[in-house]
Amino acid sequence: MPFIEAGGRRLELNEEGFLADPQQWDAEVAAILAKAEEGLDHLSEEHWAVINFIREHYTQTNLAPMVRSICKTTGLQLRRIYEIFPSGPAKGACKLAGLPKPDGCV
Amino acid sequence: MAEKDRQNPEPQAGTLTETDIASAVGVFRSKIDHGLAAALNSCVHCGLCAESCHYYLATGNPGMQPALKVKLLQSVYRWHLTATGKALSSLTGAHELDQAMIQEWIDALFGSCSMCGRCTLNCTVGLPISRLVRAGRSALVSMNLVPSELQSTVDTAVDKGNNMGIVREDWLETAQWIEEELQQEVGDPKARIPIDQADVRLLYTVNPREIKFFPLSLLATAKILHAAGESWTFSSDYYDVTNYGLFSGDDSAAALISGRLHETMGRLRAGMLVLGECGHGYNANHWEAPEWLAITPEYPSRSIVRIIAGFLRQGRIKLDPARNQKRVTLHDPCNLVRLGGVIEDQRFILRQAAADFVEMYPNREKSFCCGGGGGQLSMTTYAKRRLEAGKIKAEQIAKTGAKVVVAPCHNCIDQLSELNKEYKLGVEVKTLSEVVADALVLGGASHS
Repeated sequence: MPFIEAGGRRLELNEEGFLADPQQWDAEVAAILAKAEEGLDHLSEEHWAVINFIREHYTQTNLAPMVRSICKTTGLQLRRIYEIFPSGPAKGACKLAGLPKPDGCV
Repeated sequence: MAEKDRQNPEPQAGTLTETDIASAVGVFRSKIDHGLAAALNSCVHCGLCAESCHYYLATGNPGMQPALKVKLLQSVYRWHLTATGKALSSLTGAHELDQAMIQEWIDALFGSCSMCGRCTLNCTVGLPISRLVRAGRSALVSMNLVPSELQSTVDTAVDKGNNMGIVREDWLETAQWIEEELQQEVGDPKARIPIDQADVRLLYTVNPREIKFFPLSLLATAKILHAAGESWTFSSDYYDVTNYGLFSGDDSAAALISGRLHETMGRLRAGMLVLGECGHGYNANHWEAPEWLAITPEYPSRSIVRIIAGFLRQGRIKLDPARNQKRVTLHDPCNLVRLGGVIEDQRFILRQAAADFVEMYPNREKSFCCGGGGGQLSMTTYAKRRLEAGKIKAEQIAKTGAKVVVAPCHNCIDQLSELNKEYKLGVEVKTLSEVVADALVLGGASHS
């Protein structure tokens, strides 16, 4: 299985780069996934607003939020979400927030 | 889905009882009608199909040849379902459906085939290989050996009414949001995203990923329907055009899922079922559903691609190709084109929507699969293989020099987006509606 190293820990990813165990997620893991999976050297305030909201929603409901909720909560325009996460809300933002891959055509 | 299951690689046949296997043989028997039996008796593994298959071409692995996938099914058919196959197994190549064979089936039928049907074109006798693969998948369904994410996508659709488990309030809130965006975009406060309107001309269905993550495609289609002055509606409950029962091989789940759209047509008394940009959703709901449901629908079903082409032919919308200046190419989703028969309308549309539209080669029914079909996109276990097999499509795209790839299928769009990243193609991947909406001249066509 693919893996990343964060703070001396070896964390497994699935074949699509999603964290195998969502409980292992923290801010450092997000930054490493951002570089490895999205080619982002730096996570901006906008990135963190999205990632933190997705994480919070997942912790409470075990689900990824609707992109509608992401925009409403963060105040970001929909098109801006696709700009800052090149792989989109599911394979970009949710992955960086440590969520499992959502079901469906994603 | 429990997290530990998500990490579980390929399903394992190890704990099956003889009763499980006997029951699976029964299911396999029930799926092999006269036509498929003739197919299984006809394949002589000539190998001409090999070069039609993107898995074989991309990997060079001889085991990926369609004929060898057929051989796995054929050997079990001969052992269990013919009079002499088992007794003369050294001559017939018959093989028992034992646990090792089941494991080979899982890897070949789920892990190495997108059911794209291209092999049938190269087959000297036109064997319906993707249908044979689905018959084998049906037997695996009966043993609970469908890869977990594919099964989970079917289960979510069955349990929650759509394959992403979107709850009603979230759908309605998103629809309202998109309605506000639509009003702004067309400058008309009366523009609507109608929900549950009865007696309209069209009931429109979509891929839930549009609602959950990619609503710009909803906005684009709503804009086109608005510009054409169309009478249409969404349903508040069953709007999901996808049917992963087609891919898993589960006819009862497939019937239940497509049956809900049929019931919704009855409830809202719409004139036509319109299937959103989704290849397999078109194949499932247009071609397969009447058989799964044992009905002859009293209403027609059409792809949105054909509806948009109709608007253009009738002069109900007007497009300005100068608004899409970048070079555009078109991907042919296997389930819509080769297996679905919707071939020319998307081209007719793009010639009017884009200034520089070029074909990739081969195209139309000979097009290569993007690699995402057959449930591949959902099965993480085989993700590396899926991306590798997508190399053929990536090369086709690169050769066109296009900056925009249009794919009238959300499943293809996701795979093409991954190919874009993996093979550094530097393209934008869009739905047909998005390109049309960008070219739309508002107020430029007469409403009839």
